[in-house]
Amino acid sequence: MEKESLSKKFLDLLKQGWESYKNTMGETAVETLEFELGEMENIFGLLVLGSFIGFPSPPMQITLDLLPEMEKHFVLMLNKVDTAQSPLSDLLSTFDVI
Amino acid sequence: MLSEMGKETKNIFFLGKGGVGKSTSSALTALHLAEKGKKVYLVSLDPAHNQSDIFEKKFSGKPVKIHKNLSISEVEIAFWVKKYLSDIQFQIKRSYSYLTAFNLENYLDIIKYSPGIEEYAMLLAYKNIQEKAKDEDYIIFDMPPTALTLKFLTLPHLSLLWLDNLLNLRNKIIEKRKIITKVKLGKKEIETDKIRNKLFQQIEEYKKLKIIFEDSDKTQLNLVMNTDKLSFSESALIVNHLAEFNISIKNIILNKYQKDFNTQEIEKRYPDCGLQLIPNSEKPLLGITALTDFLHVLKSFIEL
Repeated sequence: MEKESLSKKFLDLLKQGWESYKNTMGETAVETLEFELGEMENIFGLLVLGSFIGFPSPPMQITLDLLPEMEKHFVLMLNKVDTAQSPLSDLLSTFDVI
Repeated sequence: MLSEMGKETKNIFFLGKGGVGKSTSSALTALHLAEKGKKVYLVSLDPAHNQSDIFEKKFSGKPVKIHKNLSISEVEIAFWVKKYLSDIQFQIKRSYSYLTAFNLENYLDIIKYSPGIEEYAMLLAYKNIQEKAKDEDYIIFDMPPTALTLKFLTLPHLSLLWLDNLLNLRNKIIEKRKIITKVKLGKKEIETDKIRNKLFQQIEEYKKLKIIFEDSDKTQLNLVMNTDKLSFSESALIVNHLAEFNISIKNIILNKYQKDFNTQEIEKRYPDCGLQLIPNSEKPLLGITALTDFLHVLKSFIEL
């Protein structure tokens, strides 16, 4: 009897350990994916709205037709340009150091 | 919308080097077809607008009837640029926060001078004409000189190159976002991506235009040239450039032709094209009477 409950406890512990390991790994994976997604959105923003910051861009009408749907990209890109001159402070704020 | 256009109406474009006689050739062709009983709409897309001088009548964006079968208009490109930009501005004001929209206003004010806007405005005018002139047998376009015309005709093709790549990237973004929501919420969320929808809309529109420009049953390109060397070499450049985009020239119009000129070289160089000779006129070709009289002098007219 005691042997059985001991093995059950051990199994539960193992299960708990596995669950928390899975969650941690899952979160890390999602974080990586989210970072990747953010970067892809940045690239998309730069490709379409590049003309605003001096990048080669698609024919102007493609940019203009998409512009009403891209406020988020637009603001983000302008903010990125603002911090482009001080990459160190940008990095520190990314890690929430200062 | 565009799928119905041009089903029966044929588009005839007159293009070529500046000053070779595109406006006169298009006016003569329009009058020739109208005299034959065809319903014709002659549109000048050339900012220089010579049709007013040729027909000795003031034209504007609205068609004016000058013959029982012929209407003429002169498109103001500036009007279409303004209309397009104010539409965009309206959409931005509706979907953006006040401050961002406010900051963009100045940018949109100067964008009207941006390269590429002029040919797109021409394309908008062209689509509008197509929709309004469905009952005509022929729409004849008097085009601007080479550079702008080539940009106009190749715009759908070049825009599609960009749009296809942007759509690819957008699809990847959407797929990644779906994975994240699935992990976080446990189920895939089906969302509509407005940017992707806009990309799709644009692709559809450009594909239709590209097909129309490449279809020789719907679109006929007539290249106007003179007998001088400069006109010859620029014409060759036009033909080669358009061939890269799968657009072909149907007829060569040799304007201000002199009887002693040997046309063999043209026939040899452009064996698939029809050749229309328009001799020098003794009188200036101004006014509908002078044009009609001149048409009677011409023995034959190419099939259009």
